[in-house]
Amino acid sequence: MSAVQEVNTSLKSLIQEFKHVLDQASSLQDLEEARGAFLGRKGRLARIMSRLPELDPADRPEAGKTANEVKTELGRIRESRKKELEKQAASDGDQSFDPSLPGRTPDVGSVHPVTRVIQDISNIFTGLGFEIVTGPEVETDFYNFEALNLPPGHPARDMQDTLYITETLVLRTHTSPLQIRTMEKRRPPLAAIAPGKVYRRDSDLTHTPMFHQIEGFLVDTHVSMADLRGTLTAFAQQIFDSEVKVRFRPSFFPFTEPSAEVDISCVMCQGRGRNQDGTTCRVCKETGWVEVLGCGMIDPEVFLQVGYDPDKYTGFAFGLGVERVAMLKYGINDLRMFFENDIKFLNQFA
Amino acid sequence: MLLSLSWLREFTPYRGSIDELSHRLTMVGLEGEEIVRPFAHLSPMVVGRVVEKKQHPGADKLSLCSVDAGTGENLSIVCGAPNVQAGQNVAVALEGTELPGGQVIKKTSIRGETSQGMICSEAELELGQDSSGIMVLDGAFSPGTGLRRALDLEEFVLDIGVTPNRPDCLSVMGLAREVAALFDLPLYKPVLDLHEDNSRHCPDEVQIEIDDPSGCPLYQARIISGCAIKPSPDWMRYRLMAVGVRPINNIVDITNYIMLEQGQPLHAFDRDLLEGDRIRVDRSRPGFKFPTLDEQERELNDQDLLIWDSEKPVALAGVMGGANTEINEHSTRVLLECAVFNPLSIRQTARRLGLHSESSFRFERGVDQANAPFALDRAAQLMSELGQGRGYQGVSRAEPRPCKPVQVYFRRERANSLLALDVDQEYCRRVLTSLGCEVQEEGGAMQVTVPIYRPDITREVDLIEEIGRVYGLDKIPEHLPKVQKSMHHEDADSEYRFLGAVKQWARGLGLQEAINYSFVGMADLDYLGVPLEGRVKVFNPLSEEQDVMRTHLLPGLLNTLKHNLGQGNTRLKLFEAARSFEQDSSSETGVRENNRLALLLYGRRHRGHWPHPEDDADFYDLKGLVENLLGAFGGLEGRFVLHREHPCLEPAVECICREKTLGVLGRGAPDKARAYKARKDIWYCDLDLDLLHSLGSRSRPQFQPLPRFPVVKRDMTIVTPMELAYHQLRDVVENAGVDILEDISLVDVYLPPERQEKKLTLRLTYRHPERTLKDSEVDREQQKLADLLLKKLPVGFP
Repeated sequence: MSAVQEVNTSLKSLIQEFKHVLDQASSLQDLEEARGAFLGRKGRLARIMSRLPELDPADRPEAGKTANEVKTELGRIRESRKKELEKQAASDGDQSFDPSLPGRTPDVGSVHPVTRVIQDISNIFTGLGFEIVTGPEVETDFYNFEALNLPPGHPARDMQDTLYITETLVLRTHTSPLQIRTMEKRRPPLAAIAPGKVYRRDSDLTHTPMFHQIEGFLVDTHVSMADLRGTLTAFAQQIFDSEVKVRFRPSFFPFTEPSAEVDISCVMCQGRGRNQDGTTCRVCKETGWVEVLGCGMIDPEVFLQVGYDPDKYTGFAFGLGVERVAMLKYGINDLRMFFENDIKFLNQFA
Repeated sequence: MLLSLSWLREFTPYRGSIDELSHRLTMVGLEGEEIVRPFAHLSPMVVGRVVEKKQHPGADKLSLCSVDAGTGENLSIVCGAPNVQAGQNVAVALEGTELPGGQVIKKTSIRGETSQGMICSEAELELGQDSSGIMVLDGAFSPGTGLRRALDLEEFVLDIGVTPNRPDCLSVMGLAREVAALFDLPLYKPVLDLHEDNSRHCPDEVQIEIDDPSGCPLYQARIISGCAIKPSPDWMRYRLMAVGVRPINNIVDITNYIMLEQGQPLHAFDRDLLEGDRIRVDRSRPGFKFPTLDEQERELNDQDLLIWDSEKPVALAGVMGGANTEINEHSTRVLLECAVFNPLSIRQTARRLGLHSESSFRFERGVDQANAPFALDRAAQLMSELGQGRGYQGVSRAEPRPCKPVQVYFRRERANSLLALDVDQEYCRRVLTSLGCEVQEEGGAMQVTVPIYRPDITREVDLIEEIGRVYGLDKIPEHLPKVQKSMHHEDADSEYRFLGAVKQWARGLGLQEAINYSFVGMADLDYLGVPLEGRVKVFNPLSEEQDVMRTHLLPGLLNTLKHNLGQGNTRLKLFEAARSFEQDSSSETGVRENNRLALLLYGRRHRGHWPHPEDDADFYDLKGLVENLLGAFGGLEGRFVLHREHPCLEPAVECICREKTLGVLGRGAPDKARAYKARKDIWYCDLDLDLLHSLGSRSRPQFQPLPRFPVVKRDMTIVTPMELAYHQLRDVVENAGVDILEDISLVDVYLPPERQEKKLTLRLTYRHPERTLKDSEVDREQQKLADLLLKKLPVGFP
């Protein structure tokens, strides 16, 4: 047998041998070992091919061609066996795989319902073009009262029982000082909301000494009560639901004139005053309405305080209690829960 | 303000229901807060007629009555009252009825005789003091008539929330004025019919001197002599009771009655206890002690206004009378005061003394000076009628500050523009006139004279409010405004947005937000050993637990932990983003408010069980969160340095970022943690969010071209003494000047059981930006690093 014949024969025999070895292989690892033995850098194919330079130059092309054909065939055989083995591995795996076992679940965090409501409300107003401003919680008497048309001794100061730091420094009783602070820094037109903590000297079932408010205001030429009504009705229908009815009642705040309180149709009994089972609705106390915010047209005195011309500019302002909205929106019936931070409570607002 | 419907109807013929009245008043700004049934407890009581009265066979002092209570059969009732007689109409509580005192009437046997109900006394029905005998009713009512109807007791009373700007609505008369205007009804004023004793002249008897005219613009007095002090007639007592005022005697009741009806507080002195012939209004002296008629001694200052007779103070003006001149059962001559005091002065006194009366409430808000003479005369007339007295002729009076009505210029166009309405001149004139204004048209505008009783109306906008209020704010159209916005106010980076982003970050990492009060107790801060300096104290706290603004968020979160442990929640991952407060003279308010982020981990690291290991969260969980935060908000890196002294964390590790202390993290000191019921480690950190915000906002990402050549990774295991810190190794490697070293990461820490030394395995990543690295160059650099470590640190290689 000539050298070239010998080479060709050993090359071709590799195919049968490889098939045989692969049939024995029972895992992808066996397969990989066989690949190394036959097709690896120092494998059998490589060893045979290393003999090619020994051949007569005239025989080399033929032997090289055969070697390439064998290499391709070995690769094809390996691929097909690999697919078989993979399929087999997959069906073997089915037996121990239990998709109903619990996953490695990262914890679900939550923001406090107060934060959640503030974010919802802020989104509504930023969507309407309002910006968001913040300010100090320890506030001067000037910003908290005087500049808001509440001079010392004004009986309306009794509407809010105040926590004092010093004679002239208070824990802000409302977010309204942000009206003054913002207007002082800026010129109309402006539209902003101011969310934040506020404080009152009051603690019982329906009052906590700290709670959250959102103040909103818009100042421009030609702002009217219709703008206020349109804005707050749109707001109430977005934050509660689109069917909610809104009612404006005249009221009194020293920094707005005219002033109003806004009621919405009770979200618990849909304004019927009675629950489905015929019992009286405790949320609206049978009236069918619940108060959600106070508002009004900004008082000319306030504009004078910040150097705006009240003949030229008009505006509206409103203030709402965040916990109140959260209670109505989520059906929370106990105010104290907000500040106990029981995680079973917090979890519900994930 | 409690409004009795029958009283209202004396002044205006409102015939509608109380519900409608409540609704209409609510919609003009006088909120109907509640419909009260003042005599609800009497509704089951009925009128009964005593058909027959016999002596009780078993008891001398008891009678056995047969009573027709309209129930069909006559009832047998045992009665102990001496005044019960056959033929009387009496008040009967039937079987099953609950008396005001709580006693439930049952069918019983009293000394062998059946009793099927109870004949009641005034005291038992809480309609008066008289318990000496049963109440005998008018004979005209047929048996079975409801007692409430028979006594003409008010069924409903409307509780109205009167806002501070509407003192005129703190009286029946004022509300009647409003109702008449709303429902277009006539308004009646009580007719005066005062019979004076012409032989005595009041101004000769008593002269008024006002030493403080700004404190007392008007003082008037009348003397009524020959009064008999006794209970008021039933109608007056029942009416006062219906609106929650306790009847005292006829003279005092009349002063209350007129105050409620006319809004004018009055005070009655016993004239014979007043010395001299002079009434003087003047300030007190500081430190002066004055016994008020509630038998308490009040310490006064020089701002408090007093009423004096010739010798002594006799009343705390507008707030409360003095014990020394109070009307008593022997009084016969009454000096009736009807004055107007300065609202501010009354308010200061009432607030400082914590002495809030119906009288001070009205003076603080403003009393109608123009109506004061009428109120005085009406009260004097009632005293003649009900107290059998006779008024001296005339009024002693001083009015150093007469009241003048305010004139306001009103433009209809302005009203229409502010309210978005289109009302005409005639409409405005009609509304304002109905509210008591006088209107004079001037061209297109109006000159409006405002009645004295509306001190809230001083400007055009106040009149506009009146138009809107009566028109109905609810009928104004709705329009969504176009918000004009300019781009140069960049609010994308505002405090609110930053805090919002931090909260979302925390939520995304599985933390739960807590919100605690901004104030804590001094004792909480002391307990945790935080410094005393700089604390901001609350001047008038509700309790000791809330008497200082928090300088740290820790006490609040520890209380949250304690509460949750008490509720059986043993695994907590909490955060709070809130302000701390510290004195700082350089800040605008003298208080620095600093946004902080606190994190607290307690209990197991993972939720649930399988497939998670059961171990508890530790320092590295906390540190990982902080590192993540720094990376997420500005790609920052922190240095974590052991802090030797910390009052409540041990260990305490300082987090330093760009050479600034961002905060501290560590474990709650076990001795402190016990007070919060903690049985496991509390991992806590507190970071300065304002600082993080400012550090983070300065960094803007700069694009780096992506690497094109492959990396080579080599591990290096180093044996080090236990106390050597990882960062020391890291520092040496990082600062070795090996340019092709791209990254160092720690892949293993091995602590052998004997704990003498530890093994750290570093994985070093090498890359050249412009070509593929050769093994030999990497070997060279790796060796260089090993040599350097040996040289600089007490380490070795295995």
